[in-house]
Formats: sequence, C-alpha cells, structure tokens
Amino acid sequence: MTRYLQIWLASARYSIVRTMMFRFDFFLWALVELCWMGVNLLMISVIYEHTQSIAGWSKYEMLLLVGTSLLVQRFLMGFFWSSLFELGRNIRSGYFDFFLAQPGNILFMASTRKLDPDGLLNSFVAMGVVAYAAHRLGLHPSALDLALYALMIFCGLVIHYSMLVISISVAFWITSAQGIEGIYFTLAEFSRLPREAFKGLASLAFVWLLPVVVVSNAPAHTLLHGFQPRWAFALLAAALLWLGAAVTVFHLGLRRYTSASS
Amino acid sequence: MFSALSKYQHAFLIGLQSNLVYRWNFAVRGFFSMFHLAVVFILWGAAYAGVPAIGGFSFGQTLTYFLVMLVLQFFVGAFNEDYQISEEIRNGLINQFLLKPINYFLYRFSIFLAARLVTGTLILLPLLVTLPLLRDYLTLPAELWRIPLGLTAMVLSALIQFSIAYCFGMLTFWFLEIQGFVILSMAIESILGGQMFPLDLLPGWLYRLAQFLPFYYQTYFPAAIFTGRISSLAVVGQGLVIQLGWVLVLLALNQLLWTRGLRRHTAVGG
Repeated sequence: MTRYLQIWLASARYSIVRTMMFRFDFFLWALVELCWMGVNLLMISVIYEHTQSIAGWSKYEMLLLVGTSLLVQRFLMGFFWSSLFELGRNIRSGYFDFFLAQPGNILFMASTRKLDPDGLLNSFVAMGVVAYAAHRLGLHPSALDLALYALMIFCGLVIHYSMLVISISVAFWITSAQGIEGIYFTLAEFSRLPREAFKGLASLAFVWLLPVVVVSNAPAHTLLHGFQPRWAFALLAAALLWLGAAVTVFHLGLRRYTSASS
Repeated sequence: MFSALSKYQHAFLIGLQSNLVYRWNFAVRGFFSMFHLAVVFILWGAAYAGVPAIGGFSFGQTLTYFLVMLVLQFFVGAFNEDYQISEEIRNGLINQFLLKPINYFLYRFSIFLAARLVTGTLILLPLLVTLPLLRDYLTLPAELWRIPLGLTAMVLSALIQFSIAYCFGMLTFWFLEIQGFVILSMAIESILGGQMFPLDLLPGWLYRLAQFLPFYYQTYFPAAIFTGRISSLAVVGQGLVIQLGWVLVLLALNQLLWTRGLRRHTAVGG
C-alpha cells in the first residue's frame, strides 16, 4: 500500500514538474475546463429565465446538483483522464507493452501515470458553485453532512472512473474504435439531471442499470435534505459493483492484448 | 476547367472510400447522439411541465429544433478536420501538395464533403428507428420558402464550419498542439451556436450580439429557418447577407494563414 502511494506521489511530482514546463498549456486547459463548466451553468440560468422549476427543483437546487456533478467530473479529469485517454491510444499503438513490464498492478500503473493540475484547480471552482448554491438556499449542513457529502463524491468518482475504464477497455476488442471515450461523456450528461425527471424506461436505464443519475443526486440530496440511508447505500453498492465490473472487463481485455507494434 | 474539377472529384471519391472504412465509428457516434436527444427530451420535458410555452414555442417545437440541429451537425459540422489538417502539417504530409498543382484548401474541402455525405447518411439510420417514438412531437412550419432558403443557409454553414476548422488546422504552423484551442472553441460554439438551448431564449441584447458572430451561422441559422424560430422572410434575407459576409471573411483568413504559415514551415518529413 505504502509502495503504491510512493509510486503515485512520484507520478504526481512528475506531472507537476511537466505542467511547470508547459505553463501556457496549463492556463489554456484550465480555461477550457472553466469555459465548459460555464456552458453548463449558463444553460441552467437560461432555462430558469423561462420556467420556475425542473422536476420540482428550483434554480439554486439545480445549480447545486450541476455543481456536484461537475465536481465529480473535475476530480476524474484531474486524477485519471489523461492516463486513461492515453491507455486507449497505447492499446491501439502497442505502447501499452511499457505498462506490462512495470512492477505493479497494471490497471493502477496505467490509471495514475499522469495528473492534470488544471482539472484539480477547476474542482475548486466547482466547489465554489456548490457553496454559492448552498448559500443562496440558506443551507447550513453539519460537519457530519459535509463528511457524508465528501464520501459520496468519492463513491461517485469510483463509479465515473469505472465507467471510463470500461469504455476505454473496448479498445482491447475493437482496436479501430477511436473516440470511444465519447461514450462516457454522453452518459455523464445524464448526471446533471434530477432523479425525479426520469420516468419509466429512462428511470430503469439511467437510475438503476447505469448509476449516472445517483452519482450526483445522492450527494446533492444529502446537502439539501440531510442524510438518507437509502441513497447512501445505493451509491456505495453501485461503486463497489462498478469497480468490480471495471477490473473484470479490463483483465478480460488484457488477455486479448497482442501488442500491435514491434 | 473540367480537368481541374476532376482532380478534386478524385479527392472526393478517395475521401468517400476512407470515410466508409470508419462507418462503424460514425454509426456508434450516431447511436450515442440518440442518448443526447434523450437528455434533451428529459430535461426540456421537465422544464415544460406546467408551462405551455417557453420563449413562445411549444415542447414539440423545441424538440424538433434539437432534432434538426442534430441532423444538421452530421450534414454540415466539421468533426475532426482540424486535427487531420494539423497532423498533415506536423508530419510533413503537406509537403507533397506544395510541389503539385493542387489547391490544399479545395483538396481538404472535397474530402470534407465526402465525409459529410457519409456521416449525414449514417445519422438517418438511428433517426428512422427513433422516429416512431418522436413522431407525435415533431412540429415543422408549413411555409415552402423555408426549404430553398434553409438549404442555401445550410451550404453556407458547411463553408463556415469547414473554414473555421481549417483556420484551427493552420494554427499548427505556429503552435505544436491545437487541441486546447479546438476544445475551447467547441465550448463557445456550443453556447453561441445554439447547441445547448435555442439562441432566441437568450436575453435580447445577447441574442442580437450573437447574430453578428459566425457561431450563429454554423448550425443555428439554418435550423431556425427550417423549424420556424425565425418567422420573417426579411430577417432570413438579412441573415443570409451576414452569413455570406462571414464566409468571405473566413475564406480570406484561411488564405492569409496559409501563406503566412508556409513562410514558417520547415518541411520536416513527408
């Protein structure tokens, strides 16, 4: 465990040094992520100019939900995105051999090679959005509520990470599948919607089968209405289940890896 | 004249073949676009609950708008032309065009047209499957003048989309990596191009400002003509003039970046 922490810290140090070397890139990408968050917030603001509520959620409740969804996504972008995006490319090109030769868990090594400080910087902006929405709603969450919120965000990060690993692992079977990570972004769109808006088949697919809606709705509910065991357990179970599925799919794919190069 | 055209006809046919190789990629992309439509349906369906009209339009009209936007993006949108051009510059593949009597812009545009023919046709397949579910919601205006004027705006939109992608590709002469610029521009386009919400829902002053920017003419303008979000013929005429102006400005910018960029080009590889 300590050894893995040391490896992760070494990768983080390397990423930060690299960012300091390419400062323009850092500012550009920070701006890119900030603009995309702005796009989502502006959309909410424009819709609420014309309606009072979306599935029973007021403007600031919705802002809290979208902020929570963005927070999970910023963590994913900051901690894992670059490494996993390269994983797909490496499987196609054969550079993945390099990870097979490393003395450690392959999925860990491939997932933590690069850190994106720009994504992590923007997670503070997402936290600011949540804090602003909570302030406008007059919420005063207790320390326990905040700790539970943080724990749920962590579970959400595990689910998003697992979904991305499964999407990228498709490359083991279909090597020509470029841009397959787009699947993840399409599914992530659902996490910005309130649970109550899903009915019938959509509820079954996106709330129960794919837990994209629970990931953002469960922590947001905790801040808005206090701790609800039903939501918390659903999220924890989904996180464990999806992480298990991601590890299984990744290792099944690994057996098919034939190294495209050399 | 005809021999010049036949050169680009060959480029078009090669583009058609190479895009057909990636037909499954486009088909998967088309399939997942239906999920985007599901998000639109759920979000706007919830927003319309208890509200008969938003911005003067019914839920059916808004849903039709998003559907037309989606189809237009597959028919006129630049997908990864900027990356392809950037790669050709970086790898030195453009060197061959510098030695041959081929206009690089026209060569790339021929391939762009072929790619849009393939993606446009492929999006119609998932659309046909979902049509029975959406049929009750689709509401299109009856005026016939919308078809020729909408198609004209669509052709000009394709030119704007391609020219913007070409400009980003040209940036490779100055910058090693253009991905950051492209994704930043995508964020601006998604708002000012009307992909997130119909632009007429913006506050009045911002909507008027958007009408003078090129993003408005990328997909929103033809979509608004087809779906009746622009009601008057005079406003359409005025829009077409501004759109044509942007086409000319962007074509000139393309040429300027190409000639200036070539001065910096060191022709490595190829």
